[in-house]
Amino acid sequence: MSRYLQVVQKNPSTVEQPYILDVEHVQKKFGNGDIGEKLVLADIGFSARRGELICILGRSGCGKTTLLNLLAGFIAPDQGTIRLHDQPVSKPGPDRCVVFQDDALFPWLTVRENIAFGLKGQRISSAQKEEEIDRFLKLVGLSEFAAYLPSEISGGMKQRVALARVLILKPQVLLMDEPFAALDAQTREEMQNLVLELWQQLAHTILFVTHDVTEAVLLADRILLFDKDPGRIKEDIRLELSRPREKEDQNFLSLCRVIRAQI
Amino acid sequence: MPVRSPFSEGQILLPWLLPAGFLLAWLFISFIGVIPAYLLPSPGEVLKAATSYIFGEPGSAPYAGRFYADFCASGLRVLSGFSLAVLIGLPLGMLSGRVPFLQRMLGTSINGLRAVPGICWLPLALVWFGIGLKTTVFLVALAAFFPIYLNTEAGARQVSPLLLQAGAMMGVRRLRGTFAVLLPAAMPHIMTGLRLGLGISWAYLVLGELTGVPNGLGAVIMDARMLGRIDIIVVGIILIALIGRLSDTGLHWLLRTCFRSARRSA
Repeated sequence: MSRYLQVVQKNPSTVEQPYILDVEHVQKKFGNGDIGEKLVLADIGFSARRGELICILGRSGCGKTTLLNLLAGFIAPDQGTIRLHDQPVSKPGPDRCVVFQDDALFPWLTVRENIAFGLKGQRISSAQKEEEIDRFLKLVGLSEFAAYLPSEISGGMKQRVALARVLILKPQVLLMDEPFAALDAQTREEMQNLVLELWQQLAHTILFVTHDVTEAVLLADRILLFDKDPGRIKEDIRLELSRPREKEDQNFLSLCRVIRAQI
Repeated sequence: MPVRSPFSEGQILLPWLLPAGFLLAWLFISFIGVIPAYLLPSPGEVLKAATSYIFGEPGSAPYAGRFYADFCASGLRVLSGFSLAVLIGLPLGMLSGRVPFLQRMLGTSINGLRAVPGICWLPLALVWFGIGLKTTVFLVALAAFFPIYLNTEAGARQVSPLLLQAGAMMGVRRLRGTFAVLLPAAMPHIMTGLRLGLGISWAYLVLGELTGVPNGLGAVIMDARMLGRIDIIVVGIILIALIGRLSDTGLHWLLRTCFRSARRSA
């Protein structure tokens, strides 16, 4: 497949950045003795550079979401280590924020209050906080919906809020768990563009879980292709398509075809 | 600002339809006289008794002007009993909703106790606390505890793990998480529990006051039965219904004023 990758020019921006996230020999089992254990993730290992956009691509049930939960610190691995800036990950924290697949906004807070939620504990002046909130409302295009409740806005807008409320915390790594799977095709495309736009402005590392090959090829610097039963990394593919990428482009389409054949 | 829950005039009138119909039926029955007045006095007589009970000069007639003192006595008992139930039931419910160990330890006992009719506690309470404030407060607190505990427990247990994870990743730790995420997420259930608890408080207030305390709305009803003043009994029942309804509205208003999670959930 490398012949498809060599035809396009190299995007030098992220390649020279240092590695910040290290995952080594991570293994995770679920279940207990009665039903029998199931090995969900077997010997996962990779490193992510600062500012890299990595897509974790695989079918449902291959442990992608489990990996994300491990990285977020919601669950602990049975074996292996996860380190961010050489510090072991042991519990959830604002340096590794998650945009969930389902809407996980606080229904009793308005759009603005949801975005402000994580700032509460931080030691910055309230004027500065307001300014930041305004900036992120604007970045995700929701300035006019600040006073709405989550139940009053659409699915796409909810995911915009979910994005803004974590980006405002300036996470080292942004973890996204099939965040646009439940949206309609047009909204999904808008959101993909938004993610790319924000990524280029804010330059955070993104790990983006998806089962959609086109989405992965559109977004990623690098694709970790997952195998099932047990979940493991089958291929680590570096994409060197120039940005912005066109879905109708020949290189784009042939790359999608090659990757689809691998899944 | 977005538009929230529009309501029409029809919906404001709707709750009063049934009481109005009931009143008409009562008027009609008294008018044709199928039930003798010593069993069911006419609305007019009841209104007269109510006016005298609420606004009359104390001492000018039996029961005249006693309302204010009775209301204060009963209100104090309900408030003390209900507050006690909230103070115990709410934290205990939150804890056992989140800590499976506590839930397993407390669940069976509390459900067993709940099955005991409140009136069974009355003799015991009389022995323990004597006649008066303490017995009534004990009965009210006991009765209000169960709906508050059970609903809070259910609310805390059913909070979406996704919300807790979201809170944790945005850096809220245990204590702040309890107030910033858990409590507001469980608020709809907590509100239900508190309102049910307050409703049942008024029922058990009357039970506690039937035992021979000198003042209070329940005491007046019991006293009036001895003296054959059916009109005063009816006045007492209507007043308790009204005050119960008003206190529910008041509680609802208070919660909605104090907590935005209560304001925005119903």
